[in-house]
Amino acid sequence: MMTRIVGMAYLGLLALAAGCDGWKTPSGPPASLDAELRQSLSRWGTVPIGPTPAQAPALVDLGQALMFDKELSGNRDIACATCHHPVSHAGDGLALSIGTGGSGLGPSRTLGPGRQFIPRNAPTLINTGLNAPYLFWDGRVSGFGFGGGGPFQTPAGAALPSGLPTLLAAQAMFPVMNREEMRGVPGDRDRFGNPNELAEFGDSDFVGLWQAVMRRLLAIPEYVSKFNAAFPGTPSSELGFQHAATAIAAFETQALTRTNSPFDRYLQHDDAAMTAEQKRGALLFFGDKARCASCHGGPLLGGQTFSNAGVPQLGPGVGNGAPLDFGRGELFNQEFYRFAFRATPLRNVELTAPYMHDGAFADLAAVLKHYNDVPKALREYDASQLPPGLQQLYHGDDATITAVLTNLDGRLTQPLNLSEVEISELVAFLKALTDPSARDLTSLIPARVPSGLPVQE
Amino acid sequence: MTSRVVSLFLVFLAVARTASAQTIPIQTVPLVPADQFDIFPSSTLAMGGVSIAVPDTLHDPFVNPAKGARLRAARFFSSPTFYSVSRDAGAGRTFPVGAFGTAGSWFGGLALALQQLDASRSPAPFPPPPGVFADTVGFVQGNSVVPSPANLGPAPETHGNAHAFALLGTTLPGSGLSLGGSVNWAKLRALDGVDLLYPGSARVTQYGETFDARLGLLKEWEGDRSFEAIVLHERFRMTHDVTFLESFWDPGTQQFRQSARLERNRDFSKRWGAQVKYERPLTASGWRIGWLATANRMSQPNAPNTDLLNIPQDPGHANAYEVGVGVSRTYGPAVFGMDVVYQPIWSTTWAVASTPTATLDGGLIPLGGRTVENGFHFSNALFRMGFSHEVVRSLSKTAALQLGLLVRSVHYSLAQQDFVEVATRRLQESWLEWTPTWGLTLRFPELELRYRGRVSHGTDRLVATPNQFIGVADARPIGIFPPPSTLPPSLDGVHVVTHQFSISLPLR
Repeated sequence: MMTRIVGMAYLGLLALAAGCDGWKTPSGPPASLDAELRQSLSRWGTVPIGPTPAQAPALVDLGQALMFDKELSGNRDIACATCHHPVSHAGDGLALSIGTGGSGLGPSRTLGPGRQFIPRNAPTLINTGLNAPYLFWDGRVSGFGFGGGGPFQTPAGAALPSGLPTLLAAQAMFPVMNREEMRGVPGDRDRFGNPNELAEFGDSDFVGLWQAVMRRLLAIPEYVSKFNAAFPGTPSSELGFQHAATAIAAFETQALTRTNSPFDRYLQHDDAAMTAEQKRGALLFFGDKARCASCHGGPLLGGQTFSNAGVPQLGPGVGNGAPLDFGRGELFNQEFYRFAFRATPLRNVELTAPYMHDGAFADLAAVLKHYNDVPKALREYDASQLPPGLQQLYHGDDATITAVLTNLDGRLTQPLNLSEVEISELVAFLKALTDPSARDLTSLIPARVPSGLPVQE
Repeated sequence: MTSRVVSLFLVFLAVARTASAQTIPIQTVPLVPADQFDIFPSSTLAMGGVSIAVPDTLHDPFVNPAKGARLRAARFFSSPTFYSVSRDAGAGRTFPVGAFGTAGSWFGGLALALQQLDASRSPAPFPPPPGVFADTVGFVQGNSVVPSPANLGPAPETHGNAHAFALLGTTLPGSGLSLGGSVNWAKLRALDGVDLLYPGSARVTQYGETFDARLGLLKEWEGDRSFEAIVLHERFRMTHDVTFLESFWDPGTQQFRQSARLERNRDFSKRWGAQVKYERPLTASGWRIGWLATANRMSQPNAPNTDLLNIPQDPGHANAYEVGVGVSRTYGPAVFGMDVVYQPIWSTTWAVASTPTATLDGGLIPLGGRTVENGFHFSNALFRMGFSHEVVRSLSKTAALQLGLLVRSVHYSLAQQDFVEVATRRLQESWLEWTPTWGLTLRFPELELRYRGRVSHGTDRLVATPNQFIGVADARPIGIFPPPSTLPPSLDGVHVVTHQFSISLPLR
């Protein structure tokens, strides 16, 4: 009798227990901020960045000289560093850059008579040595070459010399070609009143122009010495502008790679490197609410994709789209890419205001408020926040706004609904991307350059 | 940061060998502890583990050394034990041997066990592609920094542990009072499930030991009444050297490459415990009743540092209590037993600031100050029931079948104070675990053979996705970079199936 009772009780309990089989697994205590964040990071392939390859000192020395020497410009009045100056964190602090003919440095630089703004913002050169796969706002120089031009795709096509070691070196071939940036227009005279021979070449005569620039450089004995030291196996007669570009890229890589931010240390498992606010911002950044990482993910936090982020149209415009700037759409004439620009890598972004391809936003909070509701923000963009000289270049007409929104990135058509606190957390995270050593780059400014042209002007 | 689970979870894995009421497990997720320490023979574990009012002469000396006094003669025993976790989440084999003996009023015992545990997941199933293994790097992490290995060979698939147990006691003549002491020491190279705590790791090397010392008292009166008391102290020290193969972006080659990083984590804890128990027969024929009360005080200054979402790793301490009542009835060839146990537990864990930390209200938490404090209150309950029935009984042999069920209900509330965010969060969780048990006993005049089995239900284990370089389902490609990623382990339902075969025979 007792056995039967026990057996029944046992079977009853077993049935009760079996009935609980579908119970939901308890989730346990809330996850720690670090555990949650590290899991988010792993979803986006955001991993630490290794060291850049060591550059030969002679190459870096030559590259530094070339970077700061106005001899490379047609009118001998602007150097690479003019728009990518250490004082302005390898940018110029301007919304739209001011090229040849301008005067001054940094945000106080002014247009020369009869000149116009460069259509786009000068991106910082910090961390360009990390070899993002696309360079320039429209990605017209990329590491996806085929046919002529070797491993790189550039506007020069097959005219691009061989032997360029990196995409950054390939990119350095082109600012000297740009009339507004460095070359000047036919009839220009240089700072000494001499004819600007570089301006006389046709826009497609890449080879002729690069040879002409090299003739200028090799006419200066100090450059001959520096080139020979940097390329000891190359006779002077075989030196081309690709060697100069290689040296400039080497200098950028050596001097401007800055990847020791709190976030970088956090990626290397230093949990204390970021504050709680920064971590919360990172969770938003890499999470599903702000979705920043969908464009700014990966090891470089960007640099790999293009997006029409609904940025206000500003400036003289580019190519066939002028006075608008179709961005990558101008390059490929594809509707898909119209108004799309490179999602720029974000390390040290705190230091490189103003932001976006045309510098439409003066600070990070303004950028994030734009992203929070792009259609609304674009329609309500207040051009009075721009410097006076740019306000009349803002294209805020309905047709332009409609055109931009028509092709808006699908991820941005709906508001993100970020609160003010969340925006401030995102800003805090973006500031955690700053390598403290990038705050002051003035030690990179040489005292003089081989041409003897002024460096700080 | 937010709580403690691993710490206590690991502690109680370590002490689960007693599987009785002197050590009270604490878990905040239903992670199943495999039967790694449940290796010594028992006559009631096949009956759901009823223990309050049903004597277990085979197993009781391991729980209360004074109960060695109930051994009537010298015996040798061995109890090979095998367990496996479903979903290939772990397995182990243990081979214990031992003997108990008596000399006058003294009694004692020795036992040794060798154990082999399988890794809870396949070690490094996807090695890094040739050519992308970079120099090792050492990062600051965990509790210390150790140099990284230059090369990483294949991780061993099994690890060996060794256990030793010794007992000595005496019965004071004419008093019915027995006193005993025991030590249980284990040199551990593996603790089941620990490798799952480190998702994405290529190898987890564990080493450490656990030490348990206990003093027991048994007072027996005429009329089959007894009182027993135990005091125990336990120390648990494990070190986990975890090797991660970590991806990094190599700007020079524009490839993801991998480097090895070694992280050393320590899991230290100690516990004091005490238990009293009283048993007596009821007036009705064959019935017995028992009561017990237990108190544990645990502290864990070091806890392993894992990145698991649900299993944080904060130091803390806990006070755990237990009250229980059990009844049994022997009716001819049948024995029935049932225990009901209530376990109130209070546990506090915390995280500390590794740097001065600003709070949301403008304050500053100094270095070492608490950033988060978790207060857990558990109200757990256990129900154990089982019976044994002799199906064959003769002068030359006896055969008995055993069945049992252990049901464990866990409920806890958490009040979490976040001093950084100046916020309080509350959480309540509960779940139910049940474990059917079964057994068969064959007794011959010179030999006793036992088999027992059990299978857990309602329990989970971290089920890992292997370390992968590219192309996992949840990884999100960005542009042209295929992201290296490791899926985090998830809690998935598993069953632990345990089989034990034991043999016991007299020594002459």
